[in-house]
Amino acid sequence: MSQATLAIRKISGHAGPAPGEGVERDYQVCKLVDTTTCIGCKACEVACLEWNGYTFTDTVFDNSYQTMPQTAWNYWNLIKFNEHEREDGTVTLLMRKDQCMHCADPGCLAACPADGAIVQYTNGIVDFQQENCIGCGYCVSGCPFDIPKFNPATKKMFKCTLCSDRVSEGLEPACIKSCPTGCLHFGSKDDMKDLAETRADQLRENFGFEKAGVYDPAGVGGTGVIYVLHDATNPEAYGGLPKDPHIPWVVRFWKGPAKWIGNLAMLGGILGVTLHYLRYGPKEVHPPKNENGGQP
Amino acid sequence: MSTAQVVSSGRTAGETDGRICRYTLGERVHHWLGAFTYVYCLITGLAFWSPYMFWLAVLVGGGPTARFWHPWFGLAFAFSMFWMFKMWHRDMRTTDADRRWSKVMKQYIENDDQNLPPVGRFNYGQKLFFWLMFYGVILLVISGLGLWFVESIPWSLRWLRYTAVTVHVVAALATIGGFIIHVYMGTAMVRGGFTSIIRGEVTTTWARTHHRLWYEQIMSGTSRKQ
Amino acid sequence: MTNGWIDIKNADMMLVMGGNPAENHPCGFKWAIEAKKTRNAKLIVVDPRFTRTAATSDLFLQIRAGADIAFLGGMLHYAIETNRIAKEYLVNYTNAAFIVKDGFKLPEDGLYSGFDAASQTYDRSSWNYEEGNDAGSAAPSHTAAKAAAPAPGTPPPLPLLPAKVAYDLTLQHPRCVFQLLRQQYSRYTPEMVERITGIPKDHFLKAADLFTSIRKDGDMKKVATIMYAVGWTQHSFGTQIIRTAAILQLLLGNIGRAGGGVNALRGHSNIQGATDMGGVFDSLPGYLKVPNPTDVDLAAWLKRITPAASKPAPWDSFNYWSNTPKFAVSYLKAFFGDAATKENDFAYQYMPKVDRNYSWTQIWDNMYRGSVKGMFAFGMNGVAIGPDSQKNIDALKKADFLVVGEIYPDETSEFWKSPGINPEEMKTINTTVYRLPCAGFAEKDGSMTNSARWLQWKNVAVPTPGDCRLDQDIVAQIFLKVRELYQKDGGKFPDPILNLTWPYVNAQHPALGDLAKEMNGKALADLTDPKTQVTIKKGQQLPGFAWLKDDGTTSCGIWIYSGCWTEAGNQLSRRGTEDPSGQGIYQNWSWSWPANRRVLYNRASCDPLGKPWDATRKQVWWNESAQLWVGNDVPDFKPDSNPKDHMGPFIMNAEGVGRIFAPLGLFADGPLPEHYEPIESPVQNALHPNQSNNPVVKKLKTAADKYATPGDGFNIICTTYRLTEHYHYWTKNNQMNVQLIPEAFVEIPVELAAELGIKGNDKVKVTSARSYYVAKAFVTKRIKPMTIDGKKVYQIGIPIHQGYRGIQEDEGKNARTILNRLTPTVVDPNAYTPEFKGFLVKLEKA
Repeated sequence: MSQATLAIRKISGHAGPAPGEGVERDYQVCKLVDTTTCIGCKACEVACLEWNGYTFTDTVFDNSYQTMPQTAWNYWNLIKFNEHEREDGTVTLLMRKDQCMHCADPGCLAACPADGAIVQYTNGIVDFQQENCIGCGYCVSGCPFDIPKFNPATKKMFKCTLCSDRVSEGLEPACIKSCPTGCLHFGSKDDMKDLAETRADQLRENFGFEKAGVYDPAGVGGTGVIYVLHDATNPEAYGGLPKDPHIPWVVRFWKGPAKWIGNLAMLGGILGVTLHYLRYGPKEVHPPKNENGGQP
Repeated sequence: MSTAQVVSSGRTAGETDGRICRYTLGERVHHWLGAFTYVYCLITGLAFWSPYMFWLAVLVGGGPTARFWHPWFGLAFAFSMFWMFKMWHRDMRTTDADRRWSKVMKQYIENDDQNLPPVGRFNYGQKLFFWLMFYGVILLVISGLGLWFVESIPWSLRWLRYTAVTVHVVAALATIGGFIIHVYMGTAMVRGGFTSIIRGEVTTTWARTHHRLWYEQIMSGTSRKQ
Repeated sequence: MTNGWIDIKNADMMLVMGGNPAENHPCGFKWAIEAKKTRNAKLIVVDPRFTRTAATSDLFLQIRAGADIAFLGGMLHYAIETNRIAKEYLVNYTNAAFIVKDGFKLPEDGLYSGFDAASQTYDRSSWNYEEGNDAGSAAPSHTAAKAAAPAPGTPPPLPLLPAKVAYDLTLQHPRCVFQLLRQQYSRYTPEMVERITGIPKDHFLKAADLFTSIRKDGDMKKVATIMYAVGWTQHSFGTQIIRTAAILQLLLGNIGRAGGGVNALRGHSNIQGATDMGGVFDSLPGYLKVPNPTDVDLAAWLKRITPAASKPAPWDSFNYWSNTPKFAVSYLKAFFGDAATKENDFAYQYMPKVDRNYSWTQIWDNMYRGSVKGMFAFGMNGVAIGPDSQKNIDALKKADFLVVGEIYPDETSEFWKSPGINPEEMKTINTTVYRLPCAGFAEKDGSMTNSARWLQWKNVAVPTPGDCRLDQDIVAQIFLKVRELYQKDGGKFPDPILNLTWPYVNAQHPALGDLAKEMNGKALADLTDPKTQVTIKKGQQLPGFAWLKDDGTTSCGIWIYSGCWTEAGNQLSRRGTEDPSGQGIYQNWSWSWPANRRVLYNRASCDPLGKPWDATRKQVWWNESAQLWVGNDVPDFKPDSNPKDHMGPFIMNAEGVGRIFAPLGLFADGPLPEHYEPIESPVQNALHPNQSNNPVVKKLKTAADKYATPGDGFNIICTTYRLTEHYHYWTKNNQMNVQLIPEAFVEIPVELAAELGIKGNDKVKVTSARSYYVAKAFVTKRIKPMTIDGKKVYQIGIPIHQGYRGIQEDEGKNARTILNRLTPTVVDPNAYTPEFKGFLVKLEKA
């Protein structure tokens, strides 16, 4: 993806500083998905496919309007349809555009061992650089949203790029452009947050959605994709949006303390045997004394 | 095939500096298959482990290549381990002699070997290492499959993904610990050990020193001698 | 649409019923969302299924398919009883105060006055206003002469509306329209609504309260809109459902106002254009009525189709249709040019006289019976459209020829290899099929008329592939060949063919721009406006239909489109984005008929004195100093009519006011809507069990026309619909669409599925009296079981899209049945639309 206007803030699997580390930009980009105005038309799905040059794949009807069970390596944007029974017994259809959340603290990037396979730009976009990807799939374990997907043919991981190629040229992501109802918005994080909160206020005050709110989970440092939900207390109802997503502690431990404990242990082992040699040296072979024929 | 029955003909005359076959060709082949594949997995695994060691992946053809071969080498290692198990598992049973030996292992470590109780073909430390690698590889393969085919673990069972990561790391670190000691002992600490796994032979003195019971077994004719 | 797509953003209240705009009109639906976001507008959705539109609603009610009039009638009842009505609007802008003739009877027993059981028709002469004056001050008059009984065998003399209508502005007269309305819907109590529609009383009351809340305390500021689509039209009483909505909107004063109206959401990009262009058998372009055999000459035809004003004496009525002779003569001039002269009645006799019903189902019926021998099918898939696709297939087997102009091989052109036809039978089908590959929408220019009546010009994006040809070229070349044959061989009546104008630069390839100019019309002589002294030279394009003449000095292909391509050029390609009023009027974007007006009847957005009801949404208003109507929109009114003259805002009606009561021959089945059951219904009509169905609806009588009853075991209500992922029967040829919804399915309530042991993705078979349909089960919580008149009733829904030709079909992945094999051949008596919604089926595991 174009990096000309996208300074890199974080680099996966990287020893040493990143060029954009500490760079303060005026704004972080952000996509706002207002699920209360989503009509599940899938225009964003098609726009995503077309912009990114992916074509038809075989799908199978699965008791739902949903195109496929989850996003795929070549299908980054999926509306999740959920028939949800409300407390009063009425049923509603919750529709949520599922895609990479572009976490401020990206679990995929934390988990990734390959130098530069995942980068985070200073504008907040988390992007996979397939030329550096080794296809290990660690990002799958790191992601709290089940987003990165493996292409078995090229053995690379793929996911939504937030159209970093478009954004770097000053355009909005393709999904945003295609949305017919204006349920998708794109702009700076501050503006989107503002807009989302205003809409949530409106939903609470004028439309009786007392639990309406904005989904911008703190557990991953906030996200570059935020949702307005009718019921922010129950994000799971929207196709399994985690209530309090965070990088799995295993991954945190693995990529944090475990690494140093392990390194120290390994180093300790090497040092230990070295010291042992210096102190005790090799074992001597003892010629037989009085047994079995004695010394030669 | 559990014990080395073949005592090689001494190239020079006389029993005392005769040579005893410690490892058959098959045993050596499997040891080195295991060693080579383990080292490959170690190098590539370390590359995936830390950015500061990612350069190791470059040594073996780059990240994608390393990632591609790592699981296959892992399987090959598991295969060799399986064969070693088949060959050695009877020899690797802990005996009363081992128990006695283990109590004074400190003396062994400090090369104060004079008063150590005699041991069989493998001493208790070697057996520990064997079982560490054996169980280690089982865990590594199972968790490794989880990492290899991470996407086939459904989201609802994602705890399995995390378990796989944990198990793989812990098991790998444990085997690395064993591996360091093994290599150290096999090359630097116990002279003759390295030759034995290459050529298969040890001197009778060596055998008598380090594996008295095994030596006696052979000498007493329970095993064949040439 | 009385209003327009963008105008929906001005609404405070929205009712979506008989439509699913979020799925079928997603781009237009953005304005409903906009109203919610910017005005806190509320959205009520009433539908047999919880649709994706319902997902964005504030209130959803699950209604039984076909019970819409009961629901809307209940709303009327509620509005009247709670006095949430626009009183001033009602009195001045509708015929609420008009007094109806003595002898008119409401349908307590299911029948209006004048029903003739033998012919299943109404003598509608009693459906008329009483002649007279202000009846509020005088006793009810009984002096109106009764129409003489017609002699047997002759059609009854045409009754006319009285020029001077009796009225009572207090709305108290027992026979005034308002009192009849109140009486008619007094039966539609919330309890009755629950019995018929299955909507629990408290849910209904919630909806009624919410919708009518805009007229709480008589406040006129707020506006409600109603959106509908074919969920209303596709019933054996479809027109009357829309009438009920219109009445409700008149009662609440919502017509003519920004954010109001009754808005038909058209299901194809240019279906509005097709209707405007006379794409039905009983209408000519511009909604001129077709001549029939009783119209012996031009004068007779014009007399019949030109209404005379009918209004209370002190009021004024513009009666714009009084200009009909100008439209009609200009139309004839456009058709026959110099061959249309004053002497030959402007070639009136060249026009075909329509002597019977030639509507869609009738054409197929006639082919099935063997009297229609061939068919040209362009841009439509007649077999898949149905109803009763199998009957249509069987009809085509009997035809001599079939010409299909399409962009894909479709079910119609491959009717002869539809499932069930074996190679032996195939040999016996002698229909010659000509398949003409046509151009797709992006491969031709021209304009499309959207639901908002905008004519938008488009350019060619890509050339036609392979041997495909432009549709207009194909039609032109066929015509020229036919004309050549007539020239050579003569014929029974060659004159209309030989004298038809064909003024296009390239006769074989007429440019659509030339056609648009022809539709706009031009001056055939120098014309001068006596008032302004503006002159139009002979041959120049006309600025608008106000210039049309009935003396042969103008020609105009379709009067409502006059103004679309003037001397200033192509108005359809205008792309101005200025919107000074902020109401989304966009006067300079494309062009809207009539006369670039965006909201019809916008005079009604002002009070009788000419002041906008809501000062924040000023559309038009009376400018006292200029003595003119002015505004942000083009006034839909006589521009210099002083409010003091009390000219009615509904200038297309002879009365000048909105018709709550539709007099005389406007509708075949009643001047006020009444709830009737669908032809196939699980219950008897709760209002009048002895007259369950629409009395004037006639069933067809061939062997193929079978109708089910619950007694035969058909007791599940089935409704049909489209999905947002697909477009009619085309997109099953497009991989991208097929990926989104790959297979045919049937939406089944969880409870019904449990009863029948059906699980999601199971194959199921749906059977109607006519045929069966096989697809996968979509077991859903979004359709719930209903209680109708105490009886438990299930509804299922089936999308229309799949058939036996398409990507999945060709790979054998679908069952290859067409949904419309199930649907009955029965139509609305006014618009002849088939009853696709609400018929009976059985369901089983396949």
